[in-house]
Amino acid sequence: MKFATDPKLLEFVKEICPDGLEYRQLHENRVAVRVRVEDLEGLADLFIKFGARLIHATAIDLEMKGFEILHIYDFSKVRERLVIILEAHTERPEVPSIGKVTWQARWAEREMKELLGIEFVGMPDERHQFLPYEWPEPVEGGAQKGSEFIPMNMPITEAYQTLIPIGPYHPGVIEGQTVYVKVEGEDVVAADIKTGFHHRGIMKLIERRGYGRGVFAAEKICGICSGAHGLAYVTCVENLYESEVPDRALYIRTLLAELNRMQSHLLWIGVVADVIGWKTGFMLTWGLRERVMDIIEAITGNRVNYGVWRVGGVSRDVPQELAERARRAVEGLKEECSELLALVADHPVVKSRLIGVGKLSYEQAFDGGAVGPVARGSNWKMDVRADNPPHAIYDPKLISWEVVTDNGCDSYARTIVRVKELLVSAGIVSQCLEHLSKTTGEIRAKPRSIPVGAEAVGLNEAPRGELAYYIRASDRDENLPQGIRIRTPSYRNNAVLPLMLVGCNLADVPVIMGSIDQCLACTDRVEVIGENYRRSMGWEELVAMSRRASRW
Amino acid sequence: MSTEFKLLKRVLSRYSTPMTLNYPSSVVPERKYSQIPSGLRGVPERDRDKCIGCRACYFACSGRATEVIDEGNKRVIDIFLFRCTFCAHCQEACPEEAIKLTERFEVAFPRDEPGAHVSTELDLLTCERCGRPYATKRMLERTYERLMEKIDPLVKETVSNDYRKLIGYCPDCRRANSVALDTHTKKYVWLEGV
Amino acid sequence: MVNEFILLLSMLVVVFVGLFLGVIYSFLLRKISARLQWRVGPLMSVYSDLRPLLGTTRVLQPLYDVMKLFGKETIVPEVSRRRLFLYSPYISLTFAVLAVLFIPFPGAPLLSSTPYSLILASYLLIGAALFSVLGPVASGSPWAAVGVRREAELFLVSELGFVLSIFSVAIARGSLTIWEIANSPPRPILTAVAGALMLAAMLGKLHIKPFDMPEAEAEIVAGPYTEYSGRLLGTYYLARIFILYGLMALFVSLLLPPLSTSIIWLPAYLVSTLVLVFLLALIQVLNPRYRIGNALIWYVKILIPLSILNIVVLVV
Repeated sequence: MKFATDPKLLEFVKEICPDGLEYRQLHENRVAVRVRVEDLEGLADLFIKFGARLIHATAIDLEMKGFEILHIYDFSKVRERLVIILEAHTERPEVPSIGKVTWQARWAEREMKELLGIEFVGMPDERHQFLPYEWPEPVEGGAQKGSEFIPMNMPITEAYQTLIPIGPYHPGVIEGQTVYVKVEGEDVVAADIKTGFHHRGIMKLIERRGYGRGVFAAEKICGICSGAHGLAYVTCVENLYESEVPDRALYIRTLLAELNRMQSHLLWIGVVADVIGWKTGFMLTWGLRERVMDIIEAITGNRVNYGVWRVGGVSRDVPQELAERARRAVEGLKEECSELLALVADHPVVKSRLIGVGKLSYEQAFDGGAVGPVARGSNWKMDVRADNPPHAIYDPKLISWEVVTDNGCDSYARTIVRVKELLVSAGIVSQCLEHLSKTTGEIRAKPRSIPVGAEAVGLNEAPRGELAYYIRASDRDENLPQGIRIRTPSYRNNAVLPLMLVGCNLADVPVIMGSIDQCLACTDRVEVIGENYRRSMGWEELVAMSRRASRW
Repeated sequence: MSTEFKLLKRVLSRYSTPMTLNYPSSVVPERKYSQIPSGLRGVPERDRDKCIGCRACYFACSGRATEVIDEGNKRVIDIFLFRCTFCAHCQEACPEEAIKLTERFEVAFPRDEPGAHVSTELDLLTCERCGRPYATKRMLERTYERLMEKIDPLVKETVSNDYRKLIGYCPDCRRANSVALDTHTKKYVWLEGV
Repeated sequence: MVNEFILLLSMLVVVFVGLFLGVIYSFLLRKISARLQWRVGPLMSVYSDLRPLLGTTRVLQPLYDVMKLFGKETIVPEVSRRRLFLYSPYISLTFAVLAVLFIPFPGAPLLSSTPYSLILASYLLIGAALFSVLGPVASGSPWAAVGVRREAELFLVSELGFVLSIFSVAIARGSLTIWEIANSPPRPILTAVAGALMLAAMLGKLHIKPFDMPEAEAEIVAGPYTEYSGRLLGTYYLARIFILYGLMALFVSLLLPPLSTSIIWLPAYLVSTLVLVFLLALIQVLNPRYRIGNALIWYVKILIPLSILNIVVLVV
């Protein structure tokens, strides 16, 4: 199937954004517009009012030529599948910040400040994103000026307030993070989240390994949503050149992405049951998840890292009798799941723990940039599979499915959204398996060479929300990218977490943290402090080192 | 309340048959195993007779687990299993289909034990003139076989003679001796249609 | 002289039997919960190939856990009040063992014929629970602070319910001595009603879900026991084993009258306690954990009025 591009797009973009210096059309409805650095803030304001959504604010290091600041906006509600990339070239690392315009850019700017050393002028929140707050020396009070979050060394002004650090080691959280909650008795008065414990350097690893081998590194960012990362990566690389992928490969990709979603949601329901203290729910749902993992293992050869994603198709075919057996297994599983999950969702104690807990209104979700089931649980109909689909089959004419929303705006609504999505995914899986068991075909197309200076954005709906990859091809080497930037859904959902925590009971804190389905392996993505751990480095040295390391 | 009763029925339904499966192991044969599906991606195994030492697996390895060590006139291609991610990229890259992923998955060894490595040793051919090893014998033989299968019959004999004459020299020495070895391609010019 | 000697000997024997039975009940709670969750749980008969490693049975697993804890390092936090922190587990254990001595076992009346033994036994059980709260208060950790607050609130309401149901039985039988109550004729309706109320109150004392919020792992690490380790934690677990046995024995003595008097009733006694443990495991498996507010509401709105109603009906 060829992925079409709308030819009239450039005129439309020139109308919306008239001060651009250069307009370039990329593959599949993406447009890159080169602008001046000073215009970025005004354009951000204009676009947000227009109805767009910021996907990511990032920067690419062009070594000798300076930096290129990128703001990627999603216009799919305005014009079908349009994504506009604003590029601003600058030699000096001082850039106006758009954190005041939109809340969604806060964490992205903090990350760019830390990884590349870019100074954002007027940033509302200047703390470190991944490094500890005390780096390089203990900061007085912990918070910088103008921030409304709690500093780490909080003075306890009233005697009955306690600062409780949840994490980094805590039985209630699965991965390492620290959530500071200030409680009075059992009510949470203020909250803050600090991530950065899982940073592994994967963006750098992919830059060194090249397009072909990079897909294996991208898969290993996260274990639970490994399939989603693989699909987003191959979508992004295929958007760099004019690609044409065989249909059977697309069906297999949809199949694996939806199986990934099924097992991720079953895992999540078990985790929420465990966090509210119901180990039985945990055991029962994970027991069903094992059956899904058996199907995945029979199809791909591994339970977690599928390893079948290739640029141009997939590497392993599904034989027809295997597809038929798997389809029967999935039908049986779907019935058992719907019975069990109806019981779980109707349990009176479960309801009392989840209803009214962790409220996130529609406005808060929209401004804060929540994605995935967190947004859909607040009645915002946003699903990448319908708006901006990846390179897989999600056309409603070929596979019937639906976007699930719920207007409860609390943890129970998010639970219901995920349960219903699980059953919709089971339907998609059986339809794909039926198609695969009745047809044959090729599964891989040879990739073509990647043109100089190409760039692409690949989007996918991971189980946790919208996953965005941006790849810029190098203008010297055909096999290695110049830069790759990944924005995972948990990045956005974790940034919205402090808004949900204020005002709830202490017992609800792990429930809320669980209900946004945190995947911190996706949230953090790097930092090696030095080979010799005994040496301590200052801030300037670290910034200089990171600038040097990004060059060749 | 009715939810609790239906739940009660459900949890009691499997009271005597837990979902726990036994570990599929060859170590404890008398216990019942759970099944491993066929096609599981396990430890790679290289067929020593088919491997030609071309190092395609080394370049394709996504986890930097494969290493090539050239010592004297032996080439050793070694996969360190602690870094292997069982992605099967080497299986796709191999031109001779020498490396295949088996279904073996138990790879817990002490670090230095030979079981933690999958090694293949091949002989390198040394140049007659300068004495440096430059390619494996198997690769040169196999290239010859492939060439002879597909070549135009008009040039077959000439190519075959050339091959046998030049194979003992490394590319640098061939260049240094090109007049004496008659490596110029003008001998093919007089053939029609070539 | 001989009578006192037999009494002392029987007390010693019953303490060990109580420990053994408490361990068995603890094991059964774990095993039945596991089976209801479709898993295997601790093994009653070990697979033949693992026998050289694990022995033939792991029925005494809870005891092995306690023994493991006794072998580990005990860490005392600097910010704690040292003496209260160190002595509370031992005081709690002492109270629990003393409580066991006032409850009859089939064939050994022990001290249960002392006048007002019912009040003494329930007071000692409350004391054991109290010292399992005071020690964590002294430990100085924010987790313990939250856990102790929850434990204290739960304590208030569940003890009230427990005491009300005990006294309803005492009023119905007209006596406050356990031995007399254990020897009186059976009354099925009293057993059913007061038994249900006492079971519901016991859920809070034994931290059976949905009332185990003091020990909520997901929220407050280990609750009150966060800073305890080694010998001290082992002593607390031992105290809990004795409390479990004590509560089961008290239930049988008060509500199933002839079963804890003479030794011919021993099989029936064991069967009834096993049924009780099965019920507790079932309730534990089927429910998530309540928040402390909901637990208080449940107790105050449902259990306590019913207990008061029960007493009023019996008086009238």
